[in-house]
Amino acid sequence: MDEKKRGNSGFLKWLGNDLKDIGQTFVRGDWKTKLSFLIMGFGQLCRGQIVRGLSMLALQGGLLYFIFGFGWQYLTKILTLGTVETHREGRVTVYGHNSFFILLYGILVIVAVLALIYLWRLNLRQNRDAEHLLSAGKRLPSNKEDLASLFDKNFDKTLLALPVLGIFIFTVLPIIFMICIAFTNYDVTHQPPSKLFTWVGLQNFKELFGIGGTGNFGGTFFYVLGWTLLWAFFATFLTYFLGMAVAILINKKGIKFKKLWRTILVLTIAVPQFVSLLYVGKMFAVDGLVNAFLMRWGWISTPINFWANATSARVLIIIINLWIGIPYTMLIVTGLLMNIPAELYESARIDGANAFQSFRKITLPYMLFVTGPFLLTQFIGNLNNFNVIFLLNQGNPKSLELTNNAGATDLLVTWLYKMTINDSNYKIAAVIGIMVFIVTAVISLIVYNVLPSVKDEEGFQ
Amino acid sequence: MKKYLALLLALCMVFALAACGQAAAPAQEAAPAQEAAPAEEPAATGTLKIWVAEAVVDFTKEQVASFMADHPEYAGYTVSVEPVGEGDAASNMLMDVEAGADIFGFPQDQLARLVAADALIPLSDENAAIVAEENDAGSVAAATMAGTVYAYPLTSDNGYFLYYDKSVISDPSTLEGIIADCEAAGKSFYYDLRSGWYMPAFFFGAGCTLTYDTDDSGAFTACNIDYASEAGLGALKALIALHKSPAFVNGSSVSNATNAAAIIDGTWDADAAKELFGENYACAKLPTVEINGTATQLGGFGGFKLLGVKPQTDETKLALCDDLALFLSSGDVQLARYNVVFWGPSNIAAKADPAVQADEALAALGAQLAFTVPQGQYPGEYWSLAEALGDDIIAGKYDTADDAALMEALQNFQDTCISYAG
Repeated sequence: MDEKKRGNSGFLKWLGNDLKDIGQTFVRGDWKTKLSFLIMGFGQLCRGQIVRGLSMLALQGGLLYFIFGFGWQYLTKILTLGTVETHREGRVTVYGHNSFFILLYGILVIVAVLALIYLWRLNLRQNRDAEHLLSAGKRLPSNKEDLASLFDKNFDKTLLALPVLGIFIFTVLPIIFMICIAFTNYDVTHQPPSKLFTWVGLQNFKELFGIGGTGNFGGTFFYVLGWTLLWAFFATFLTYFLGMAVAILINKKGIKFKKLWRTILVLTIAVPQFVSLLYVGKMFAVDGLVNAFLMRWGWISTPINFWANATSARVLIIIINLWIGIPYTMLIVTGLLMNIPAELYESARIDGANAFQSFRKITLPYMLFVTGPFLLTQFIGNLNNFNVIFLLNQGNPKSLELTNNAGATDLLVTWLYKMTINDSNYKIAAVIGIMVFIVTAVISLIVYNVLPSVKDEEGFQ
Repeated sequence: MKKYLALLLALCMVFALAACGQAAAPAQEAAPAQEAAPAEEPAATGTLKIWVAEAVVDFTKEQVASFMADHPEYAGYTVSVEPVGEGDAASNMLMDVEAGADIFGFPQDQLARLVAADALIPLSDENAAIVAEENDAGSVAAATMAGTVYAYPLTSDNGYFLYYDKSVISDPSTLEGIIADCEAAGKSFYYDLRSGWYMPAFFFGAGCTLTYDTDDSGAFTACNIDYASEAGLGALKALIALHKSPAFVNGSSVSNATNAAAIIDGTWDADAAKELFGENYACAKLPTVEINGTATQLGGFGGFKLLGVKPQTDETKLALCDDLALFLSSGDVQLARYNVVFWGPSNIAAKADPAVQADEALAALGAQLAFTVPQGQYPGEYWSLAEALGDDIIAGKYDTADDAALMEALQNFQDTCISYAG
């Protein structure tokens, strides 16, 4: 709370200072600077800084044209997301407003306005600095120097300009858009271009948490969230420790054909998961290979339906995931094992430590230290492990106790996928997307801060 | 030197990003068209896109070519035919109506979704009259919502019946007999009970109903259901008994069946079934099953494939779409289609053709049709709810449940179905 207050007052102070600076620039500035308040780049042009002046002018012109020439029609409707419905004149269709584009371009225009404000401020600062330099009797940087600085002092800006633009358009803008969708009623009955959707505030969040919504939405959400966390925990740590065990086993002196064993395990990586998972999923079906063999050997008389029962499906998924995950861990751990100085083990043995003790005191701490960040990314990756779940059994089995297409092995991401693809329920899917972000962000931050590798970087040097 | 290398790399990154963005581009390009659309001027040129199932792409191309040859007034239009499966077609249309095809084939259970998203334009009165006159009543009902005809029937073969192995099943008329034969032979009986489409065979057979009323915008206004009744309870018990049999395997796809002696499936799998059973291939209507002490004929849905036209902003193109869709769904083309891919026609004249009459699978379907109801419109949630009930049965949650617990589950199912309407 205190921190927030301080943050707030810090921002207000900065804003106050900035406004004061703008005022002073205007009052103390000459007529060139004053006119630059309206026409960006005017002062620079007058003072001979043609490159700066022209680029400022071009940016202002371009952004103003974009905002008023293209974006205005969207910006004015962003509070309602459109009012004119699609209708028919005779049998010919006349499309009305498209809420989707209004929201998308509306956001883009708002960003353009912010960019314009920033550039305007930059333009004022350049004018002010130029005046200071001139009044101090110094020379202004020439056009040539300005251009040259783009490949010298300001080379970072040159390099980053295009990537930043690309990241903004292809990553940041869609994220902002998706977050906005969570506050609208964009679903199967409100689909552009024929139907409008509009803002509904926190309604979708309330529905997901089961407050005043229909059905058992809240219960289903927490059920799916619970399994998501449980799955990520088992999928990460079981593969990690078993993979380590396999690596140590193969690494042991006296084991023959080391390369052969490793190759056999790594073969599972060589087959694309899309193929192997779909195939393994079928193998465990009622009429699949596994049941056929069990019956042929006389171990069971009737086939076992592994995928029908929530518990057996979950256990099976975790086990199959081990089969895919262990080789990866094994590869990483094999490399690390060779890095541990042999003297450590030797002195431990002289001190009378048994194999388990030297594992617990030497191998494990070293592994945890080195692979801590790897474990974290594995955990986060497993929270969103769409492939394994969806290719094996599509998140089934469903149950009447769950709503909205959710199944017992659905992760939040697979549930989200079903919602968008099968049910066109974009609004709730967007809310779930935000929830996934919150869960991963909270876990990452907490775990990252307690990792030994972060706390004590020098630990194993 | 290093600096320029870095610059080059940065540029590469941007191009890589731009390449990723390609997929998003069409959506953005659509924006100006969106604004310009209302102020269209009549132009006799343009393009028209058709989506049909992979199997009939070549066939449709030929038919379109012959249509265009007969109609020089549309010569300015180029028609392209693309392979998009019927289920995908509906989803793709819903995803982005404007980028979707102008004419597309879809299964009739998608009609309500498509109407709700305004992805279908109702037929003109003349075309609606022709369609109603030339096609069987069930298919016309399936293309109709709240009194408005929205699509052109293509086929009348989306139903299910029994494929079986003559050498294993001695009498396909009762489910008990089929199961006994399968168990004795160590073979399996395939039926997809975790499906909102197959499961009603039991409930409808027992005399239950489950239909939805819709208004003209595609919204569901009421649900007529009586699963939570004596008949529904009997049907549920029969399903549970079926799942307990070691011969039962959940599934409805011949190509995925490994040890089948009998399978409840549709005409689309006729070729695969012939291959599986070889000379023991046989078809029959669905069997009877013991429900509440009486032998009850299993029911089910009669289903249809439809051809829809997307709303158009151009009058000439709309006329072309109307004429072309009517042509592609006409009796002659349906018969020609049957001869190429064996899709059972919905057109009354085409149905009467000797070649169609002689088809074993279609004959079994025809016999079953007497016990089915034409499939109306169901909300998307219904299908996943039915899967949930099926999963609960297969998971054995009701294996030991008493009547009261079963009735509670049915009541829960019924209430949830009702909650989807209105």
